[in-house]
Amino acid sequence: MNPYLPVAIFLAVALAAALLFTVLPGLLAQRKPNPLKLEAYECGVEPTSSVSGRFPVRFYLIAMLFVIFDVEAASFYPWAVELHALKLFGLLEMVVFIVVLGIGYAYVWKRGGLAWK
Amino acid sequence: MTLPFTHVDWAAVAPLEVLAATGLLVLLFDLVWRPFAPRGLSLSVAFLGTILTAALIAQQYGTNVAAFNGGYIVGNFSVLFGEVVLLGTLGALALMGRGGSDRESAGTIALLLWSACGALLLAAAATTMTIFLGIELLSLALYCLCGLANRKSAREAALKYLLLSSTASAVLLFGMALLFGASGSVSLAALASPAMVTNPLFWMGSGFFLVGIAFKLSLVPFHAWAPDVYQGAPLPIAAFMTVVTKAATIAIFARFAYAALPAGASQMLLLPVWAIAGISMIVGNVGMLAQHDLKRLLGYSGIAQVGYILAALAGTTRLGLRYAFFYLVVYAVMNLGAFAVAAVLSSGDDEEGTQIQSYRGLGARRPLLAAAMTFFLLALAGLPPTAGFLGKILILAVAAGTGYLWLAALLLVGTAISLYAYAKIILAMYRPDHRVHAADIPRGAPLPWVSLALCLVATVALTFYPLLPSGLLPLVK
Repeated sequence: MNPYLPVAIFLAVALAAALLFTVLPGLLAQRKPNPLKLEAYECGVEPTSSVSGRFPVRFYLIAMLFVIFDVEAASFYPWAVELHALKLFGLLEMVVFIVVLGIGYAYVWKRGGLAWK
Repeated sequence: MTLPFTHVDWAAVAPLEVLAATGLLVLLFDLVWRPFAPRGLSLSVAFLGTILTAALIAQQYGTNVAAFNGGYIVGNFSVLFGEVVLLGTLGALALMGRGGSDRESAGTIALLLWSACGALLLAAAATTMTIFLGIELLSLALYCLCGLANRKSAREAALKYLLLSSTASAVLLFGMALLFGASGSVSLAALASPAMVTNPLFWMGSGFFLVGIAFKLSLVPFHAWAPDVYQGAPLPIAAFMTVVTKAATIAIFARFAYAALPAGASQMLLLPVWAIAGISMIVGNVGMLAQHDLKRLLGYSGIAQVGYILAALAGTTRLGLRYAFFYLVVYAVMNLGAFAVAAVLSSGDDEEGTQIQSYRGLGARRPLLAAAMTFFLLALAGLPPTAGFLGKILILAVAAGTGYLWLAALLLVGTAISLYAYAKIILAMYRPDHRVHAADIPRGAPLPWVSLALCLVATVALTFYPLLPSGLLPLVK
């Protein structure tokens, strides 16, 4: 027997149950709506505006810069763990990496990418 | 622990590093200069760096080194395709010399150089990992470059290119994952084993891989982005994309088709590619008929031209690869030439003066430019005094020789249609038109003129001294 068969059976049962419970009420349930029933439940608050609002494009710039430095920090970890094994070569590689990133950072700074105006 | 790479590996990628460092240098100059580095300075640095890279790559001619565990294979193939990439880069840089603000120039030039780095990487990439790295490096910079101009079509171009190209990258990556699953290796050479023929993963993976490549090449079912993107992108970037992106992607396709497919699967697997290449010739040329913008028109023309180049590769013969390379070089110079004419005539307005109606009556106002444009358009159409003619004859010969007669026939039909589209512009240029006065036309910066003259000479010279390099194969050591 294929060892994945139980997984497949489990998936099929889960899918069937989920479908059953979402489709059956639509077919069987009675609907008699009135204004009181359609209100937000108990302590719920009536929404005042659309959920997906608009926000300035500057956020994207900041987010992008954040991701760049986030990735940079992430790539430091494996390097730091293996630094003793990589010796001078590893250090030089990281210096090159930081210099390249640094130039980019300085460029962004000079061009006002970090200013919130 | 010993380091996995030696100086041989670093020497193989030295040209790439020089080009990348040039990009950094351009940024550095812009950093220290107040307020911004002048365009001339950035361009000079970029030119010097690119020419140095070209010289370093030329030195690798005749060598055969598999660097980085076979991920980066230096050989005649990578050298020649790398030189085409750098030719396109130089052409695009020359078009940037037509003026514009200093503010954006350094960043633009640096991005262009890094994009060219990705293309160079593709010319030598021989594992799926290096291919993906190259494609992403090439594309990431281009997403920004496409949207540089401050107009609606530029934003549309950038967004369209980003979304569609990312989708294609995803498809490509999925294909690569399946290929890895099939062979257990990222190396393209591992796919050539006969055991692959019966492996369904290999067939599916290759299919996805080829779809991704076809998108990047703008072959017909996946071509719709190309004209829009070229129209929206600034002139030099559009020129860069038509030449460099195509050269790099054709290099990858050729390596895949020649070196990565087992003998039993090659013909059947590649048949759909030749078919869409044939359809591209027709659709690209028919699409040209309705265009009102030169960049759009050249975009459609590019779709058809890729079809011609692939027709030479059909049958995957040695001769076909040489002829395809020749036509690629010819396409690069005639296309860059046409873009150079457009750059000389370009204006500062939103559409950069590339609408075809602004070429009306050009024959009377600027006879020299009109003659040059006519020449390049006739070359693109493939008429006798130009290298475009020789290139097409060679492709016809090899397509007929390998038994792909239907591709040869489609090429002839496509050429006939394209002739009409190109003739429409030529007629417009030589029809008298009194609405525009000679004094209104800009003289044009010197750099595009130089590029124009060089392309003109090259288009003629290639007819008499065809560049048919031998020793392009084998592609994988």
